[in-house]
Amino acid sequence: MKQLVALLLGLAFSVCVNAQPVPLGTAANFGVLAGSAVTNTGASIVTGDLGVSPGSAVSGFPPGIVNGSIDVADATAAQAQIDLTAAYLNAQGRAPGTVVAGDIGGQTLTPGTYTSSSTLGITGNLTLNGAGVYIFQIASGLTTASASQVILSGGATADNVFWQVGSSATLGTGSSFSGNILAQASITVTTGATLNGRALARTGAVTLDTNGVASPAGPGVPGSPAPSSLILVAIGLVSAALYLGRGRLLQAFRRI
Amino acid sequence: MMSPPAGVLLDASNTGWAGNNYAPAKSTARQVIVAITAMALLACYAPTLRGMFQQWSSDEDMSHGFLVPIVVLWIVWRERARWRTLPAEPSRWGFVILAAGAGMQFIAALGAGLFAGSLAFLVSVTGAVLSIGGFAWLRALAFPLLLTFFMLPKLALVYNQVTLPLQLLASRIAAGILTTAGIGVIREGNILDVAGHRVSVLEACNGIRYLLSLGFMAVVFAYLADTKPWMRIALLVAAVPIAILANALRVAAAGWLPSLDASTPHAISGAILFVLCLATLVIVRRLLNKVYASYQS
Repeated sequence: MKQLVALLLGLAFSVCVNAQPVPLGTAANFGVLAGSAVTNTGASIVTGDLGVSPGSAVSGFPPGIVNGSIDVADATAAQAQIDLTAAYLNAQGRAPGTVVAGDIGGQTLTPGTYTSSSTLGITGNLTLNGAGVYIFQIASGLTTASASQVILSGGATADNVFWQVGSSATLGTGSSFSGNILAQASITVTTGATLNGRALARTGAVTLDTNGVASPAGPGVPGSPAPSSLILVAIGLVSAALYLGRGRLLQAFRRI
Repeated sequence: MMSPPAGVLLDASNTGWAGNNYAPAKSTARQVIVAITAMALLACYAPTLRGMFQQWSSDEDMSHGFLVPIVVLWIVWRERARWRTLPAEPSRWGFVILAAGAGMQFIAALGAGLFAGSLAFLVSVTGAVLSIGGFAWLRALAFPLLLTFFMLPKLALVYNQVTLPLQLLASRIAAGILTTAGIGVIREGNILDVAGHRVSVLEACNGIRYLLSLGFMAVVFAYLADTKPWMRIALLVAAVPIAILANALRVAAAGWLPSLDASTPHAISGAILFVLCLATLVIVRRLLNKVYASYQS
């Protein structure tokens, strides 16, 4: 019996330590989801569905491109908004975690829940290191500085990073952000910023300006990345050495 | 200035500074100063260097950064006969540049980011060379110092601005290649649909990886194969269209042959294509040399 209790306590502890992802429901299919409007300027690329509900204003596609479907005030978008509300409340209702305040740029964080009682900023690089779930509970706004980056390393994935924002989120010019933004009001992605994740706004608008928004779910289309630059340069150095030393190599072969 | 024969310089009894009346004791003292300066720079910039290592480890576009310092140090060693013969004439300007590097590092620490810190490191290295060896040394080591720019981290502001246009450019050119080859393709933004097989030109497929790797190799190859310094710039410029075209060709091949989408064939085809890019650079160099020779005659 004691062993069973210990086992159950152990299991409960492990569940507490390894937080579960926030269930996004059908909102997971969306790269961009807004409550009132989606406005785009420039050649933005949204990978994943784009939706608006209960509002119905979508502008800027084209020149923007959506690699997915566009759902404007239809049943799909409405259901996604219902699921977003549930996800938002789920993230907000999690037990408060490590307290963070002000600007968390320059820090390296491990999986867990992070709670901010007011506005949170990111200047420079924020590194999320390690596989697991990251939940940021932000009571007010989220603002990232120009050229700031949220770097995922050590097995961290954008799908498991959740930013519950009490008001609005603004991603700075040319910044690179990762994770799912669940904002109560609006989300503004300024010029040239990239979002490796989802921009999900409950009541307000999502504003884009020449951005790349890549939902981790996406439309399931395979990509074709090149080999890493380390492999390419290594191949290049070996090729250059073989080419420049071909005379000696030929001589050696002849001798053999 | 005529360089002494390499054999003299590499003689074990001649510990550097040959031909300039420097006593071995003075040379040893100079070597100690160089070693202390190097250690001080490494200590001062340890967090920046750690950040650079982290980016090289986590970002496949920048992982060539591990090889850049090795190649740079090899070039410095290869050129030792040249810079060892130069007189060491420390310049006060070196301290000015060191101070500028320190200022940049301070700004980087305040929040300007890893790129500013890394640039500060290179500026400080330049200042140290000038402080110890003077302008003659700086000139002699200019090429390896410039080559270190390839190990700088991504400047996010620039990278994020060029990513999307490059993705779309690769998609357009790949669609053009397939159409020219008589293969039907429908392009929707950055997605190619070839007879129902869809390939997405993701951020990682934008060609930056080919561009940086081929640019670095173009400069190194020009240095090894050619004595004309302008050839390095010429091949670097030539590497840009070659890399963009090669990347588009790679994407087109992945669209045309679905089997190439599997990870191993895809990596092999990417590597083979890169070797072809290098072969193209060899041809470009030969053509440029022919044009140069006819111009000279």
